[in-house]
Order: sequence, then structure tokens, then C-alpha cells
Amino acid sequence: MSAAELSALQRPSDRLRRRQAVNRGMELLAWLAAAAAVAILGVVVSSVAKRGASELNLDLLTKAPVPFAIGSVKQGLVNAFTGSLVIVGLATAMTLPVGILVAIYVNEFAPRRIRNGLGLVIDVLAGIPAIVVGIFVFGLVVLGHGQSALAGSFALAVLMLPFVARATIEVLALVPDSLREAALGLGAPRWRTTLGIVLPQTVGGIVTGGVLAVARVAGETAPLLFTSSVGVSNGADWNPLHALQTVPVAIFELSESDNTGDHARAWAAAFVLLMFILLTSLSARWLANRSRRKLARGVR
Amino acid sequence: MPRNGKLVRIACVLAAAAVLAAVAVAAAGAAGAKRSGGALVGAGSSLVAPAVQGVWGPAYQSKTGVGIQYSAVGSGAGIAQITARTVDFGASDAPMTPDQARHCHGCIEIPWALAATGPIENIPGVNGLQLHLTGATLAKIYLGQITNWSDPALKRLNPKLKLPNHSITTVHRSDGSGDTYAFTDYLSKVSKTWASEIGKSTSVNWPAGGVGGKGNSGVAQVVNSTPYSIGYVSTAYVIQNHLHMVRLQNAAGNYTYPSVKSIESAAQLVKRVPANTVISITDPPASHKYRNAWPISTFTYAIVPTKSAKATELRDFIGWALGAKQQKAIQHYVFAPLPALVAKVAHNRLKKIHS
Amino acid sequence: MSTIDTTGTAARRPFTGRRVRPGDLVLQGTAGLAALGAAVLLGLVVYKVVEGSRLALSTLCLGFLAHIGWDPVHSHFGAGSFLFGTAVTSIGALLLATPLALGIALFLTELAPSWIRAPVTALVETLAAIPSVVIGLWGIIVLGPLLRDHVMPALHSTLGFIPLFGTPNPSGLGLFTAIVVLTIMILPIIASISRELFLGVPPELKEAALGLGTTRWEMVRGVILPYTRGGVAAAMILGLGRAVGEAIAVAQVAGGIDNLVSWNLFNGGNTLAGKLALEFQSSTSNLETSGLFYLALILLVFSLVVNVFARSVVRRVARRQGLLVR
Repeated sequence: MSAAELSALQRPSDRLRRRQAVNRGMELLAWLAAAAAVAILGVVVSSVAKRGASELNLDLLTKAPVPFAIGSVKQGLVNAFTGSLVIVGLATAMTLPVGILVAIYVNEFAPRRIRNGLGLVIDVLAGIPAIVVGIFVFGLVVLGHGQSALAGSFALAVLMLPFVARATIEVLALVPDSLREAALGLGAPRWRTTLGIVLPQTVGGIVTGGVLAVARVAGETAPLLFTSSVGVSNGADWNPLHALQTVPVAIFELSESDNTGDHARAWAAAFVLLMFILLTSLSARWLANRSRRKLARGVR
Repeated sequence: MPRNGKLVRIACVLAAAAVLAAVAVAAAGAAGAKRSGGALVGAGSSLVAPAVQGVWGPAYQSKTGVGIQYSAVGSGAGIAQITARTVDFGASDAPMTPDQARHCHGCIEIPWALAATGPIENIPGVNGLQLHLTGATLAKIYLGQITNWSDPALKRLNPKLKLPNHSITTVHRSDGSGDTYAFTDYLSKVSKTWASEIGKSTSVNWPAGGVGGKGNSGVAQVVNSTPYSIGYVSTAYVIQNHLHMVRLQNAAGNYTYPSVKSIESAAQLVKRVPANTVISITDPPASHKYRNAWPISTFTYAIVPTKSAKATELRDFIGWALGAKQQKAIQHYVFAPLPALVAKVAHNRLKKIHS
Repeated sequence: MSTIDTTGTAARRPFTGRRVRPGDLVLQGTAGLAALGAAVLLGLVVYKVVEGSRLALSTLCLGFLAHIGWDPVHSHFGAGSFLFGTAVTSIGALLLATPLALGIALFLTELAPSWIRAPVTALVETLAAIPSVVIGLWGIIVLGPLLRDHVMPALHSTLGFIPLFGTPNPSGLGLFTAIVVLTIMILPIIASISRELFLGVPPELKEAALGLGTTRWEMVRGVILPYTRGGVAAAMILGLGRAVGEAIAVAQVAGGIDNLVSWNLFNGGNTLAGKLALEFQSSTSNLETSGLFYLALILLVFSLVVNVFARSVVRRVARRQGLLVR
């Protein structure tokens, strides 16, 4: 082979050059898309963080709102924070037992057809828009009885249920059948096996699912608009029979105001809400990793 | 129990604690307050909100210890809330429609304040009270027939004002609103086209686009952030947010703006209060008596069920608010005192509430 | 996103003993009751919405879907502008978000140096965590003025010949603002699901392609994208479902206009969910309330269809690949 022919073989052909150019172009596009997305994300997150953190002060968490204040009055959103705590807490208390029981039924008792059907039911429930859930609870509970934190909690519980049920089903399925068979072989009744042996293995996953569900609904506004939005009490109110103000609804109302003071409090509340959601998501992830590692290690 | 019992035990303890806490909160809250132990909960009109939340609420609480909790969700929502008995009283600037009255099952409307809605503008270079409009031109603007601030019809009304060549953005309420009711009531009287095509209600089919704002504060916000826009808000919000008012020509030919005196002048129009409480005082006629009247004045009503567990508290609060002293206390938010005739009807209706 | 893996093995039925203890019955009964409750709950939601809309269904029928305008005074109600608004905003958001999301997912799995991966992933997760009301707040105060003062005039002057970019809206609120806000909301959903899907592509397949001499882009196009096609489609459908159901952020930034259907994206508008959030309690008549329930019914039907469809796509993909898709 001549030197010319050899170097011709080693030189990239036109076709290869074109393919490499296309590849470089696509990589550039991917970098650009990523940069654009990161820029957008960064702008939004930093915007919320910066404005929120700068307006944050202790008054927000300790003082009550003073509507139509003349001049600058020290006010805050203590009623919204206590209301949110009550409503989310009650919603969690309502959802956890039901979600776990549903998951136990789906995974341990249901025949295949019912299992598929229930799986569909849970997924469909997860897809109902939050505003429709709010309208539903309004029609079911609020009409004739009035708004209340309980009604709001119920609406949030409907939203949380699919999350908790799904997470619990998945962790229950991960528990090996050998465990159940061993218990059966030792003569344990089914209920004892499920509650005393299988379920404890899944506690990590259940807690993760619960925490994720809390993170999901802590910021929900739509279901609370019609179920618990007319409570503007003069101070912290813990009574679940009242309609309590909540942080997302407060932010919604303040965002429609013309007052810079209102906007400042909206940003501060948004910051606190976001921090809460991030913290709960992070702890959920940490818990998930922990329980995953545990299950991978096997039964002790 | 498996060996990783520590996590299980912690989780069980936490779960039990959470459930106990929830139950404790519920019980303590329920026992301790007995449906807010004397506080009155209301919702509705954002027009009356400065009076109820800003003045009456705090004053009544310091006088009697009974708290007033009010949410300015709009007149439409206020009617819905009291119909659902979700609140102790509703508040609306618009009288209830026959359908709404029927659904409310024996609610009475008690006029308890007198105020106004007015157009506001945000034209760069034009200050408050400088822009002059007639009812007809205002209607044409909202109908989309006048679309530019430099329109000759507007120039004719404002010869000394330098109106820019820019398209007009109309702003209206996107929620059900008593201000919308008063505004459209007025437009229906000054424009036949408006009356036949759009009509009056708490929520109408606004022609030709524009932008919607939620609540009086939402409209104020949109107008303030949109140059070359025009909107309508209740006068208390104009004062609070330093918005630019527009002077309207009343039927007598004078260019007036909302003030306690001009509202009082318009309120003379009420000769009797019918059962359905439709006492419209918009567009008073062209006579000497109404020469200074503001043409978009409106009464605002507390809506209360005749049969209520809180009858005594409601009678006390509303009766107190109807008093001359309380009517005067809200004047700096541009509320005029109720005319004697209307106040008498209000007191009579108040007597009908029983538990 | 996850689906119940109901294609599990039959071996999960080890209990075949004939003795039934009372404790077993109690547990099965309670759990069964809870499961029945979940099903009943779903039925109740559908029933309540249908019941509420019955008056409107019988009075306004299908013409409701085409009629544009919401006129309580003359009792002319129509979902036309809301269907239009919902379609425009959600499809627009999907079109904008998908390439960005796929770009970010590919970047994170194929291109990014390892020290960038963790922070960017964290950024995406943080954005997913921001509640819609906060994004709406940001939309009103930051995004609206930005679009009004800079972006919309620029788009109009350069691309104004396209009817989509007509006269800018001086308030900064409108369908375009809503599209941007919705894009920001669904971007993290599609991005994080796609990223996990891309990570799940077996390395042998990728290496085989590279070993045959393909460029990285050709490998992505020929191996990764086809392999994850179903999952990515499901992620897009879920993002669409989220955008359609979003009520609060839309109520804050879309401009609240009920009777305008035009090509100009800068105009104000409203969606099904946004209208419900703003006006659900303000009805002046039975027919109007029923009309609002009719809107809720349309929204519900759409989200049910979207969900069942996404679920079937995921199942097909999972079965084909033997994976539990998370």
C-alpha cells in the first residue's frame, strides 16, 4: 500500500465528518437546553429565595394579620401557620391508617382481578385535579354545615391517599415471601404475620410515603379554597371545627393585593413554605435510602 | 419481632404520639371554644371590608370582647357562603337575585353601609381627578367602541389634557363582585347598548377583552401595573392605594368624584325600600337636588338568616354598626352615613332575626 | 410517577392454610373495608360532579362545549373559551417543556461532568417542590412585568407576522404568561422521570452501539430514545395532565377573560381550572352553578382519560422491559 493510500484510509471520510459535526451540534443543543433550563430554574428558585429570605422576620410567625392597617403596623401570618399545621396534621392522621389498610388489602388479601381494579382506582384518584377535589368536598361536607379545617383536611387527605397507598404497596411487595412462609410454617396466624412481621419491615417505606405525601399537599391551595378559606382569626386558632386560614391560601390572597407590605409577607410565607417542603422531601429521600439499604441487606 | 425493632418502635411511638396529638388538638379546640365562643364569622363584599375589618371589627372586639372574622371574597362568594351557612353573616353590595334568595332559605338583607365605586385610570402624565368622562363615553370604552386614549370624543371632554395616542386596556373584576353590579347598573342606565347587550350583574360577559383582577385589590394591582389602563374600584381602595380617580359627569351636568357629600347627595334618591332590597341609587336624575351627586354610589348589605344560632350576637353587632357613631367612624374610608329612612328599615329587619 | 405493579408473580400467595382465625377475618375485613372505601370515594367524586352538572347537561347539552362567553345576565354559558385556554396553555407548555426537559435529562445522564450532576439534579428537584401558588406569586410580581416590558414587545416586533405574537398585553398577564408559568411547573416532572428512564437503559446496549462506531448523538437517537420512548411519552402525558389541572397559578396570571378566543397568545384568557378557582362560589343562579359543575366534569373526564392512558402506556413498557417503572 502506498503512503498516499494509507493516509487516505486514516483520514476521516466526508461522511464521518458530517456525522461528527451533527454529533457536536446535538451536544451543543443539549448543553444549551440544559443551560436554558438551569437558568430558568435558577432564576425562579433564587428569586423566591432572595425575596423570601429578605422579608423573613419573626413577626411573620408570631403576629396576627391586621387588614387595612393605616401606616405601618407590625403584622404577621401566625393564624395561617397554625392553621396549616392543624390541617396538614389532621389530613395525615386521616390518610395514614386508611392508606396502609388499603395497601395491606391489595397486597396480602386481594385476588388478582380486584388487585388490578384497586390499582386502577388508586391511580385514577391520584390524577383528579386538586380543584375538583375541593369542589367535591365542598358539595359533600361544606354545604349546609359550613367550612371547617376538618373539611379542608378531608380534601387534602383525598389527595394524599394515593401516595401513601402506592408507597406502602410497593414496599409491601418488596418484602420476600419467604418471610411470610416462614411465619406460616411456624404456625403464626395470617393477621399476626402481616401486622407483626411483614409490616414492621415496611415502616421505613411507609414513613417515606407519608412524608412525601405531606410535602405534596403542604403547598396545595385549590382544595382549601372552598373548604377552609374564610377564617381570618385575630391570632392563632387551633380549633379544627373552625375554618382556619392556611399558608397557601394566605399567599394566594396576598398575591392579588396592591400593597407592597402584603407582597413582602407573601414572599416571606412562600419562603417558609418552600423550606418546609424541601426539608420534608429531603428527609423522605434520606429515609427511603435508609430503608432500601436495610431491605437489601436482608432480613435480620 | 425482627431485630431492627428500634426503628419500628420509634415509628410506632411517633405514630401514636401524632394520633394522640391530633385527637388532643381536636378535643381541646372543640371543647375550648364552642364554635369560636362568641366570635362572628362573615364573608363577602370587598367594598365593605375596610369598614368591617379595618374599623368595626377591632372597635367591637375591644368594646365587647366578641371578635369579628371577615373574609373579603367578593359579594358573589359572600352570598354563596351564607347560603351554605358556612359563615354567620354574608356581605354583598348587590341585592340577591330571586334564585339566590330562594336558595338562602329565609335570609334577610340589611343595608348597613353606603359607599361608592369609581373609575380609576393609569395614564402616564395624567394625575388624579384630572380625567373627565361622561357615562356614555365610559360605556363606549368598556364596550370596545372607544379604543384609544386619543379618541376625539375623549379629547372633546378634556380639552386641556394631553391624552396620549395609546390603546386603552379596560380592567374588570374576574370574581363575582358587588362593585361590578353597581358599575354595570350605572352603565345600563347611561347606555342603551350596554343595557340590551350586557346588562347588570355581579359578573357579566365583558365585551372586547381587557384584563380581569381578583377582588378590589386585584383590580387596583392590575391598573397600577398596566399603563394606559382604566378600571373601577370601591373608593376606600382609591384612598388606601393612592389611585387616580376619574371625574364623571352626573345627570345634572357636573363633573363629580366620590366623596361623602356626593354619595349622600345620591342617596336622597331612596324613597322606600322594597322587599327585595333593590335600592339602586346610580345615575340620579338631572335636578337641582342631585347636582353634586356621585352617579355610581351603592348601598351594601349584611345578609343574615332569619333563624340563626347566633341571632343575639348578630343583632348586637349589626345594630351597633348601624348606630350614628359607627357610621361616622368609617367616613375616612369614604362611607357616607345611612339615610334615616334606610336605617329605620335596617333596624326593623334586624328585629326579625331570632334563634 | 409510579404504577402499582400488578403483574407480580403468583408466588405471592403462600397462605393456603384452611384454618381461618378470627383475627384474620378482622384484618381482612378492615382492610377490605378501607379498599372498598377508596373505590367508593372515587365513585362519589364522579357522582357528585355529574349530579351537580345535571341541570346544565340537560339545558345546555353539547352546545355548551362550543359556545364562547360566560353571561350570567342572559344565562348564556359556554365552555368554548375555557377549552381553548386550557388547550393552548397546556399544549404550549408541553411543547416548550419537553425539549428542555429531555435536554436536561440527557445532559445529566450523558454529558455532564460528575461534579455538575448533583447540584443540577438538586435544582430540578427543588423546582418540583415549589408550590403552584408561589410560582403564581412570582409570575405576578416578577415574570409579568418582565414579559410585558421586554419579552412580549421583542417577540411582537421580530415575529409579529405570526398571528400568535400579536399586540402585546400591557398588563403582562395573559395566555402567554400562563404558558411560561405552566412550562416551569411541568419541566421538573418530565425532566426527573426522563432522567431516571435514561439511567435505566442497560449500559451494554449503549456500549454496543458505541462500539460499532456510532457518535454519541447517534447512540442517543438509536438506543436511548427508542428504549425509553414509552416512558417518556407517559411522562409527557403526566406533565400534560398536571398543566390541565392547574387552577391557582393560572387564576393568578392568565388574565381572567372568559369570552375571547383569538390567535394572539398575548391576550388574556382563562382555563377550565382557573375559571373554577375564580368563580365557583360566585354563581348568581342554579344554571350557572350547574354550568360550573359541567366545567368540572369536563376537567375530570379529561384527567381520568389522561391517567388511564398514561397508566396503560407505562404497563405496556414495564411488561416489555420487565421493569418496575418508578
